[in-house]
Amino acid sequence: MTSLSNIARIAWIEFRNMMRDNGVVLFVFIVPLFYPLLYAFIYNNETVRDVPVAIVDGSRSPLSRQFARMLDATPEVRVVAQCASIAEAERLNQLGEIYAFVVIPDDLNRTLTDGRQAIIGVYADMAGMLYYKSALLAATNVSLELNKELKVERFYTGATRAQEAVATQPVTYDHVPLYNPQSGFASFLMPAVMMLILQQTLMLGIGMVGGGIRERYNGRALPPMKLYSDPMQIVLGKTAVYFIIYIVMAAYMFTVVNYIFGLPAIGRFGTYIMFMVPYLLGCTFMGITFSSFIYRREDCILLFVFMSLPLLFISGISWPAAAIPRFWKCVGMLFPSTYAVNGYVRINSMGATLQQVGPEFIALWIQAGVYFILSLGFYYISIRKQRKIKK
Amino acid sequence: MAMKRKNVFLRLWQLWMRELKFFSTRPLMLVVMFIAPVTLLVFFLSLMSAGLPTDLPAGIVDEDNTSTTRTLVRTLDAMENTDLRYSYSSLTEAREAMQRGEIYAFFHIPAGTTERALSQRRPKIGFYTNDAYFIAGSLLMRDMRTASEMIGMGISRQTFLAKGMADDAAMAAVRPIAIEAHPLGNPVLDYSVYLSNIIVPGCILLLVLIFTPYTIGLEWKRGKQRRVYNRLAGQSSTVFLAGKLVPQALLFSLMMLLCDVVFYKYLHFPCKCGMWMMFFIGVLCILAAQCFGVFVYGLLQGNMRFAMSVCSLWGIVSFSISGLSFPTMAMDPILQAAAWLFPLRHYYLLYVNQALHGYPLLFAWPSIVALLCFLLLPLLTLPLYRHAFRHAKYKP
Repeated sequence: MTSLSNIARIAWIEFRNMMRDNGVVLFVFIVPLFYPLLYAFIYNNETVRDVPVAIVDGSRSPLSRQFARMLDATPEVRVVAQCASIAEAERLNQLGEIYAFVVIPDDLNRTLTDGRQAIIGVYADMAGMLYYKSALLAATNVSLELNKELKVERFYTGATRAQEAVATQPVTYDHVPLYNPQSGFASFLMPAVMMLILQQTLMLGIGMVGGGIRERYNGRALPPMKLYSDPMQIVLGKTAVYFIIYIVMAAYMFTVVNYIFGLPAIGRFGTYIMFMVPYLLGCTFMGITFSSFIYRREDCILLFVFMSLPLLFISGISWPAAAIPRFWKCVGMLFPSTYAVNGYVRINSMGATLQQVGPEFIALWIQAGVYFILSLGFYYISIRKQRKIKK
Repeated sequence: MAMKRKNVFLRLWQLWMRELKFFSTRPLMLVVMFIAPVTLLVFFLSLMSAGLPTDLPAGIVDEDNTSTTRTLVRTLDAMENTDLRYSYSSLTEAREAMQRGEIYAFFHIPAGTTERALSQRRPKIGFYTNDAYFIAGSLLMRDMRTASEMIGMGISRQTFLAKGMADDAAMAAVRPIAIEAHPLGNPVLDYSVYLSNIIVPGCILLLVLIFTPYTIGLEWKRGKQRRVYNRLAGQSSTVFLAGKLVPQALLFSLMMLLCDVVFYKYLHFPCKCGMWMMFFIGVLCILAAQCFGVFVYGLLQGNMRFAMSVCSLWGIVSFSISGLSFPTMAMDPILQAAAWLFPLRHYYLLYVNQALHGYPLLFAWPSIVALLCFLLLPLLTLPLYRHAFRHAKYKP
């Protein structure tokens, strides 16, 4: 019974230390609550619509004008200018007024009547992949549509609708974007951002509280009190505080953030919480382990914040895991976020069950176990050191 | 008068030497100013060394299984980004494989496709991409769509050939208008060109942003702020800040130079303005980030941890708001305006203007002016620093 009350007292002291430091309060309470909202706000529009483009219409024929009209009607781009030459279009690009331009050749009609293939060029600004994607997609769709009409006009005059359909498109197809129906940016990036926020702020919080103790007690990892004499009690006491706070934060992200911004959330809440248990434990134990290197509170901001970016890429969500070199995959295995991001995407966006994320779930438990032992070892050594000093 | 000026230089020299000595005693400084930038550079370049991810795992559900559909499967497999690694007997099985994360997309050919096509009954095929993984999903979508178009065109072409048309003419009849893509400045669609050379300098700017309030704040933390201010800096906040920040600016600039040399000299990333121009832009952004850090620290009256937190949150958001992956023009107007307040946004715009397109710098004047405005920010906080040196104490 005394051990349980010891754990409770350790937890209480940890909580008090947290609340006393406004830096920790910021990272542990404010950031998990508001950062996901900020990010969702940034990516809320999901896709790029109406990218401004120019048309360099060398042909100036009804057909080329039809192409321009149809291009303007696509959701992806918007025709904002008609240019007389490529140089003029380039100038508009320099001024940042357009992000792509479409060049229709002078001899469009002659080429077509001669029975040769005409080529329309799409010049896209590579400042962003999405401009390129939008412009090319729109132009391709328009050309496919026009091609159908041209074919009918030339070869199938007098055919029935059904005959036309067979002739222009003998095989039809459907594209189904699963789990992210709008192919949107928020739906794809938010899950990874939310999982990383949990891990990074947890590590920052633990590191800052740990560093604070070292500062107060001359570089010792633990306060010189009798209470802190059993590594197991210390780890459990500290973990209890963070776990309770973060399970609430995790639930908040799954429910409130997903709901407000209409992100895909077809997973079950129960599955999600079960999955979060090893993740949050793993992050906490890792935070305790890493805090053994932190001697000044502020150091952990310098050390942990910039790691968020590589961790995002290593998780395989933005850069496909299949293309990540083996070495970095191994480095990724050290961090719970790698598995949590992948597992969360599947539970949240793809409706996977706990069995379907089995490998990730097990990996998270293994990580939690390893970091648990490491954090026990860290406190065991610190306690022994303190005893030696006393003697 | 001459005496006084000499004094200033002497003071700065003393402060600089003091900083360098300080850097050499703390391993953390080595980590932040050398190990972290180099590691990040190696990380992003090796991660995206393929340029464009090739051979992404995909699956096929071929319920028809005729020689025609097998040709389609081979065509698809031969495409650059697609690796049709797995074959499934049903849609459910393929979907489950996708949920397990084995494949990013699958292609579905229903039974009777070939027969329907031959008898002119317009069969329908389908492909399913997992767009929860955006890049992989889009790349596979592109390949699968092209393959789907090609089947139809193949059949039409056969018809025209049978009517006695020549090869070229049949192709032109099938596809009178073709689209040709010209990605300006990055012809091979290399993701590394598009991401690494903004993200790595961006990480350096992030480190600068956090490091500035950290190093300034350490004076307060160690309780030496009065001594430094009165004795070394001659009661001048300007001298103190210059003495503090110039050495780190130099060291961070060296790291920026390393990045530029690797990107533009060694890997030959497109750079129409020459490497030194990019270096100049990088240094300007480092100074802007430092000045922002000085501003925040002064504004918060020496609350070191809070200033560092604000700077780190600011720095992390800048990767998203700068528009390098999701364009700023697609964001809310409020965010479009807010993007001006992030040095990385200007670095990105200047990179596009200078390195990618090689346009005259004049066209990017708003970003240059914005960065120069950042450099003026510390002036606003000089009186606050004077106050902080006299009264503020480190808050434990």
